[in-house]
Amino acid sequence: MYSMKQIYSFYLFLGLFLIPHFSYSQGFQVNFQGQKQQAMGCAGTALQTDGASLFFNPGASAFAKENSVNVATTPIFANVMYIDSATNDVYRTENPVGTPFSAYGLFQLKKDGKLKLGIAAYTPFGSTVQWEKNWIGRFAITRLELKAIFIQPTISYRISDKIGVGAGFVYSTGNVNLQKDIPVQFEDGTFAKAELAGKAQGFGYNLGVQINATEKLGIGLNFRSKVQMNLNDGKATFTVPEGLDPNFPDGKFVGSLPLPQVTTLGLSYKLNDKWAFVLDINHVAWKAYDTLAFDYEVNTTSLLDTKSARDYKNIVAFRAGASYKVMKNLEVRFGGGYGLTPVQDGYVTPETPDGNRAYGTFGLGYKLGEHFAIDASCYYTQITRADINKETNLSGTFTTKAIAAGIGFIYKW
Amino acid sequence: MTKNILSIFTFSLLVVLTACKPKYEATTPEQGEMNPTRFVMIGGGHAGGYMDDALTYEGQTNSVANILAEQFKTIGGGAFNQPYVSQSSMGVSMAGLAPFKLGYKTDCKNVTSLSPVRIATGGDLAVLNDNLYTASNKFGNFGIPGLKLMDVSNTAYANVNPFFKRMTSSTTSSVLDNMMGVDPTFFSIFLGIEDVMDYAKSGGKNNNLPSTANFEAAYSNLVQVMTANGAKGVVATIPDVTQMPYFTTIPWNGLNLDSASNQTLNSIYNPLNFFFEIGSNPFMIDDPAANDFGVRQILDGELLLLSVPLDSVKCNQMGVLFPLRTEFVLTLEEISTLRNQIAAYNIIIKTIAAQNNLAVVETDKFAKNLKDGFVYNGISMSAKFVSGGAYSLDGIHYNAKGNALLANEFIKVINKKYKSTLHQVNAGNYGATLFP
Repeated sequence: MYSMKQIYSFYLFLGLFLIPHFSYSQGFQVNFQGQKQQAMGCAGTALQTDGASLFFNPGASAFAKENSVNVATTPIFANVMYIDSATNDVYRTENPVGTPFSAYGLFQLKKDGKLKLGIAAYTPFGSTVQWEKNWIGRFAITRLELKAIFIQPTISYRISDKIGVGAGFVYSTGNVNLQKDIPVQFEDGTFAKAELAGKAQGFGYNLGVQINATEKLGIGLNFRSKVQMNLNDGKATFTVPEGLDPNFPDGKFVGSLPLPQVTTLGLSYKLNDKWAFVLDINHVAWKAYDTLAFDYEVNTTSLLDTKSARDYKNIVAFRAGASYKVMKNLEVRFGGGYGLTPVQDGYVTPETPDGNRAYGTFGLGYKLGEHFAIDASCYYTQITRADINKETNLSGTFTTKAIAAGIGFIYKW
Repeated sequence: MTKNILSIFTFSLLVVLTACKPKYEATTPEQGEMNPTRFVMIGGGHAGGYMDDALTYEGQTNSVANILAEQFKTIGGGAFNQPYVSQSSMGVSMAGLAPFKLGYKTDCKNVTSLSPVRIATGGDLAVLNDNLYTASNKFGNFGIPGLKLMDVSNTAYANVNPFFKRMTSSTTSSVLDNMMGVDPTFFSIFLGIEDVMDYAKSGGKNNNLPSTANFEAAYSNLVQVMTANGAKGVVATIPDVTQMPYFTTIPWNGLNLDSASNQTLNSIYNPLNFFFEIGSNPFMIDDPAANDFGVRQILDGELLLLSVPLDSVKCNQMGVLFPLRTEFVLTLEEISTLRNQIAAYNIIIKTIAAQNNLAVVETDKFAKNLKDGFVYNGISMSAKFVSGGAYSLDGIHYNAKGNALLANEFIKVINKKYKSTLHQVNAGNYGATLFP
């Protein structure tokens, strides 16, 4: 006759699913898309190097002299250490080696033609963040795997001896897999888990202008558009005690993540036959990343849609490098850069423990005959960032050390 | 030349790769101006690890006192002995019952849902039989279920409280005598909750709240004895017990009426000037002062206790035709009596602490923060029953995670007062309610 309101209701707030985001917050910007550029401080927008210019500046590609195909991979060894400020406990990531790759084909229809056609495929992020078992931030994240490939067909045209322009269309497809523990326990004391997985797609474009002002001075302008990665068919899987199954129904979710627009001004200066210098200034419109939202198809009192403030800010990064021709077939390169972090205080998360970063690079290129060349590069950085996250209250210091050692092969004809 | 450059390149690459792990420089915690060599803690069930309405080995291991003692060991604290319930025992409640766990319960309407259930029909009474005292390993944890401030100097207390009897050095020694037998160098006082609990848990029926004068005299005496040998310490204020899930879980307006029952009730109660509507309504309660019939509707802000027999409510008209008895209700007046009294005690505690230069942990603020909810390392904590994550299934005592969070509050004020650098514990690793 009379019914009570549900007395024991279990509002087990799932918490907020933090970002599917790369471990290199500036990652889209690290520019691991060309071995020569990587060796020269990740700069080279104003320098036609090889097929990699399709990424750095499709305008510069108009000045290519031959057909070329090049492939490269850059294994990333990245380790993050977190020291919790309250307990002084130390936790580390156990990241597998990241293996971003890039492949470029740059073709001309006739010898020394004005029109170039290019196709580029690259992985702007391909990293996995895996925190050690039972780490203190396990309810924020335990593992984030992100794989995405960008495919960019491109047309470049040399308007004159001094000016080249280029445009590429970007299609991106990728996989996201995000895991974390849920703070409810099975009878044996182990914690419940959540896994969000899905495929994401996005579109964008890449425009470039190259002006060879003098024999020695080159100016490059590059604009890479924002790519909104949309995850429309995500699958949420919850491993929870039977008694909580109704609260955490497995099901679909949607979400999205912006990869920001990047505008670059590049300069190159060829001092003489041996020395060349490059400088890039990037503006990255990270402000686009203001909120991360997850919308679950089925909501319960425990499983609510989430909206997490990210409040990233636009940033500027400076990159510079040089190359020196030691002998006819051998070139050494070095460089470095400094980038401001888009992550404001209060928003540092374990999957993007980002901070202002300085880095150094070096590398070399070796020609094996007329058609074939090998390039190698090495990148090193260390970032330290202390923060109290506004959402999770994780309070501590992240220290990231990363080394990326790449190798690439070029065939020209 | 080319070869040389290649090998230099390879070599430097190897060097860099091995250097890729960030280096950790450990910091050693320091004791500062405190000396934790012989640590004692005195309090009620909240200090002793009583949880899920029982004293158990598991609970004692995760007591506030033991968590603190473990951290003290990193700065020179000695062995910390607790009157452990045997690890193989299920434990026992203050009423002799078995502990709660979360299980499936089928109610009078044949609806099965998750609910706290006793893990056995009776508790392990053998726990209370043996006396565990040994002179060579004196106990440090005097967090004794039921221990009131007003009882700490009572030399006959062993005859009153079996949880003390099992650990005392003699049946004519008071708790304070026992504690001073340890010759403590550092102490923690977390008393007062049990002093107000009789009143709160009886819906104001058991009016044995100590007068502020008596409370002050007892507290003052306790601190005087504890500090006589120069020991330093930390004292805790008393939380507002009405914020505990025991008093907040059953909604005052949880009476849900359909059209037919609404009509019936209105026809019965309208002559008394009580009106109902379809949907949620306040329960009916006893209140001798209300009118000639001594019944009224419960008011928003008044609290129903978790002791309410829910099956009677669901199936036998309790709270409806048979109003809830006063022992199940804290009225606005009773709540205000309770809160005013606690506030007065807390002023006394803070004043005495200031006079004796002791650290103060404001557990009333901690309980309020829980009530408001906060996020701890990605875990949403609140004072909600079961799901809040901090209170055990009795709705009064904290679970292991709640104890760890509270222990961290002790650590913070100790560090601040005594310039020590104790590390906090990771409360996320401590357990909460287990789900079937």
